Amino acid sequence: MTRMRASYLTRRRLLATVVALLAALLVSIAATSLVGPVHASLRRALGPGGPSTPDYVIIVRTRLPRVLLGAVVGGSLSAAGAALQALLQNPLAEPHLLGVSSGAAVAGMVALIAGADPVSPLVPAAAFAGALGTMALVYLAARAHGRTTPHAILLVGVVCNAIAAAAIMLVNAIASYAQARGVLFWIMGALSTQSYALVALVAVYALAGLGWLVAHAQSLNLFAAGDEGAQQLGVDVEGARRSVFVAASLLVAAAVSVSGMIGFVGLIVPHLLRLVLGPDQRLLLPASFLGGAVFLVWADAAARTALGPAELPVGVVTALVGGPFFVFLLRRRLARTLP
Amino acid sequence: MRAACATLLVLATVGCAPVPSGAGGGPPARVVSLAPSLTEIVWALGAGERLVGVCAQCDYPPAVAALPRVGGYLAPSVEAVIGVRPDLVVVVPSPGNREAVRALERVGVRVLVVHDRTLDDLRASVRALAGALGLTAAGERLVADVDHGLAAVHARVAGLPARRVLLVVGHSPLVVAGAGTLQDELLTIAGGTNVAADAGQAWPQVAPELVVARAPEVIVDAAMGTEAGGHDLFAGLTTVPAVRDGRVVALRGDALFRAGPRVVEAAEALVRAIHPEAGG
Amino acid sequence: MTPALEAEGLVFAYDGRRVLDGVSLRVAPGELVGVIGPNGCGKTTLVRLLSGVLMPHAGTVRLAGRPLAGHRRREIARRLAVLPQDPHLDASFTALEVVLMGRAPHLPPLALPRREDVAISRAVLARLGVAALEGRPLDRLSGGERQRVLLGRALVQEPDVLLLDEPTTHLDLRHQAGIYDVVDAIRRERGTAVVSVLHDVSLAAARCDRLVLLAAGRVAGEGPPAAVLTAEALSAAYGVPVTVGWSPEARAPIVLARGRSGV
Repeated sequence: MTRMRASYLTRRRLLATVVALLAALLVSIAATSLVGPVHASLRRALGPGGPSTPDYVIIVRTRLPRVLLGAVVGGSLSAAGAALQALLQNPLAEPHLLGVSSGAAVAGMVALIAGADPVSPLVPAAAFAGALGTMALVYLAARAHGRTTPHAILLVGVVCNAIAAAAIMLVNAIASYAQARGVLFWIMGALSTQSYALVALVAVYALAGLGWLVAHAQSLNLFAAGDEGAQQLGVDVEGARRSVFVAASLLVAAAVSVSGMIGFVGLIVPHLLRLVLGPDQRLLLPASFLGGAVFLVWADAAARTALGPAELPVGVVTALVGGPFFVFLLRRRLARTLP
Repeated sequence: MRAACATLLVLATVGCAPVPSGAGGGPPARVVSLAPSLTEIVWALGAGERLVGVCAQCDYPPAVAALPRVGGYLAPSVEAVIGVRPDLVVVVPSPGNREAVRALERVGVRVLVVHDRTLDDLRASVRALAGALGLTAAGERLVADVDHGLAAVHARVAGLPARRVLLVVGHSPLVVAGAGTLQDELLTIAGGTNVAADAGQAWPQVAPELVVARAPEVIVDAAMGTEAGGHDLFAGLTTVPAVRDGRVVALRGDALFRAGPRVVEAAEALVRAIHPEAGG
Repeated sequence: MTPALEAEGLVFAYDGRRVLDGVSLRVAPGELVGVIGPNGCGKTTLVRLLSGVLMPHAGTVRLAGRPLAGHRRREIARRLAVLPQDPHLDASFTALEVVLMGRAPHLPPLALPRREDVAISRAVLARLGVAALEGRPLDRLSGGERQRVLLGRALVQEPDVLLLDEPTTHLDLRHQAGIYDVVDAIRRERGTAVVSVLHDVSLAAARCDRLVLLAAGRVAGEGPPAAVLTAEALSAAYGVPVTVGWSPEARAPIVLARGRSGV
C-alpha cells in the first residue's frame, strides 16, 4: 500500500494538525466529563445553587479532575513512546520498557507497606524517587566506553523490569491481604483523583518534558540515519541520546507515579500517528501527546462506565484495545519485512 | 444449603485422606492453621494448645505470637508445614495456596478446607473444625454464642430505621464491600443498608462519583490506610450526607474481615458507627 | 594552497589488528581523489576517520588546516558531507525529507525547513534525476534511486569536502556516469574537494584526478591514474594477475583482472 502523504513537513501542516488534535482533545474532555456510571446533569450543576447539587460534585469534583489527569498522563506516555521509538529506532517500543515504570511501582509499594496511605502524596513522591533512581541505574548500566547504544538501553530496561516484577511479587507475598490489593493500582493503573492541584503540577511538568523532547526533535529525526549518519549530519549523538532518554524517563516517571502502569498508550498512539502523519518528530511528538491524551480520556471513560456500578482498572481497557492491536501491528510489520 | 455443601466437602476430605502418622486413631493432636480466622476458631473451641504452626498473618489471640510460623496466608510454605508434623491442617481456599494444599495432600497430610465468605460459611466451618477436632459439643456452643451475640446486637437497632451505609475497604483504588460478603451481612445486622449492594461483585472497585450518587448516610472506613487518607478521599464530596454530617467513621482492626468468633465484636463496632444513638 | 582535507599518518586498529598503518592523503579544493584497494584494506575505516566519526589511534585529520578534533560536530557537518557505503535508513521518510536532513547543520535545532532549503533540496533531486520521487518513502525506492537520494542529502549540506564511499554500488552504467557528472559539476561550481572510494578501478581511473592505492593498511601508490595503475602494483595489491590497457577516448587506463588460470 503506497500511502502518499505530504512530501515534507510544512509549518502550515504542523499547525493545522496540532490545532485539530487540540480541538479533538477539548471536545473529548467536555464529552467524557458528562459520561460515567452515574447520570449527572450539567444543567443542574451549572444552574442556581449549583455547587450544592450532587451533579456539581460529581462533574466538577470527581470527574473533571480525573479526565484532566487522564489527558496529561495519556499525553506524557504517548510523547515518551514516540521519542523512545525514534531513539531506539524501533516502532514497537513501549515507554515502560525504559525500566523507570517498574522502579516507580516498587518504590510506591514499599511506601504503602511502610504505612503510608494510598491517597497521601507520600506514595507518588516515593514512586517518583524510585523512578529517578532506576533511570540513573539504567543509564549507567547501559554505558560502555562512554557511549550508550539503543540496544544496551533496551536490554537493561527490560532486565530492570524483570527484577522489579520479582520484587513486586515478593512484596505481594509478604504483605497482608489488604495491602496486596494495592498492587493492582500499580499493575493496572488508576486515574481517580479529586485534586486539581495534582493535575496542575503534573501538567506543568509534562509540558516541560514535552518541550524538552521537542527541542531534540530534529536530532531524533536524524537518528534515522544511524549513529554515524547522524554524527555526520552534525548531531552530538551521545548528548542527544542522553537528553532524550532523561526527558522521556521523567515523563514516564511522573505518569506512573500518579497513575500506575497504564500500558499500550505509549505504544499504539505514536505508532498509529506515525502511519498517518509520517515519522517527522517535530510533528509526531506534539501530535502523540495530544493523541495520547484523547485516547486515554476515552479509555478511562469506558473503564468507569462499562461494568455499571463497578469500574474496571483503566489498564484493562487499554490492554483490551491495545493487545489485539499490537498483534495486528506486529503481523503487518512482519508481512512487510518478510517477502 | 451452604452448610450442607461444606459438610459434604469435609466428609469427602476426611474420607479420602489417609490416616496420618502420629495420632493413631484418635482426634488430631497437632494442628496447623493457615488462616487467621481459623486460628481464632480453633482457639475459641478450646483447642489452642493443639496448634503447632500458624500462618504469618495469624495474630489473635496474642498468645499465638509464640507459635512457629509456616508461611503466609496467601502462600504457605509446604516444607515448614511438614516440618511441624501436623495431624491436621486447616485452610481457607485461595488461588495462592491451591498448589500448597495439593502438595500437602500428596504427602499424606490431612487437610481440611473450609470457606469464609458468609456467616453460613462461618457456622459450617466452626462445625467442621469442631468435628475434625473431636469437639462437636464445643462447636455447637460456639455457633450458639455467635448467633446469640449477633441477635443481641441486632435487637438494639431493630426498632431504628436502617441507615444507608458504604463500607470502604481500600482507598486507592477505591474498593468497597458489595453484596454476598460477610461484611455485607454484618452491616445489615448492625442496622445498615449497603449502598453498593447492586454492584454485582463482592469487592467492587468504584468511582467516587458513585459515592456521591448513592449518598450514604454513614461511611465506614475499614481500609488499611490512615485516617487522614480517608478524610482526603471524601472531604470534597460535600453533598454526601455522611460527609456533610461528619459521619465518616474509621474502623480499625481485623475483626471485621475474619470469619471467626469476633464477628460479634465487629457487629458491635458497626453499630457504634452506624447507629451511635443505640448506645453500647 | 591549504588542502581542503588532509590526513597524516593515520593508524587505526580493530581488536589489535591494524587496519590502517600510517596512511596519509590530501585533497585540494576542486580535486577528485579516488581511493582504491582490495576488500578489507581499510577504505571504509579511512572514510570514517576522515569524517571524524572515528578517532585515529595515531595521526591527525585536518579540515581546511584545522585538526578535526578541534571542531564541533555541527561545524564539521557544515563543511564535510559523507555518502556512506552502508547507510542505515529509516525507510518511512520521503525522499525529500531525507534530502532536507542534509540542511540540518545549517538550521537552528527547532526550525522547520525554510523555502530556500526546500528549493535547494528539490534542485538537487532534479539534478540527480529523482525529482519525481520526492514524495515517495525510501522503502519504495530502488537501490539506485535510494543511493542518489542519499547523495542528494550529502550535496545539500553544501560541503567543502565530499566523501563518497562506494557511490556506484547499485547503479547501472548510465547512473554511474551521471553521479560523477554531477560531482564534477559541483566541483567546478563550488570548488568542492571530493574523496571517492571505488571498487571499480577503471571507473576510478577515468574520473579521478588522482588515485590512492591502499593495500594492507598502507598507501601502495599515489598519483595520477596512469602512474598508479601499473600491472605490477595492482597485481601485488589485489593478489591476482591484472591487465592494464589504455582508452584513448577516456584518456585513462582500463584495468581488468585475469583469472588464475590465465586469460
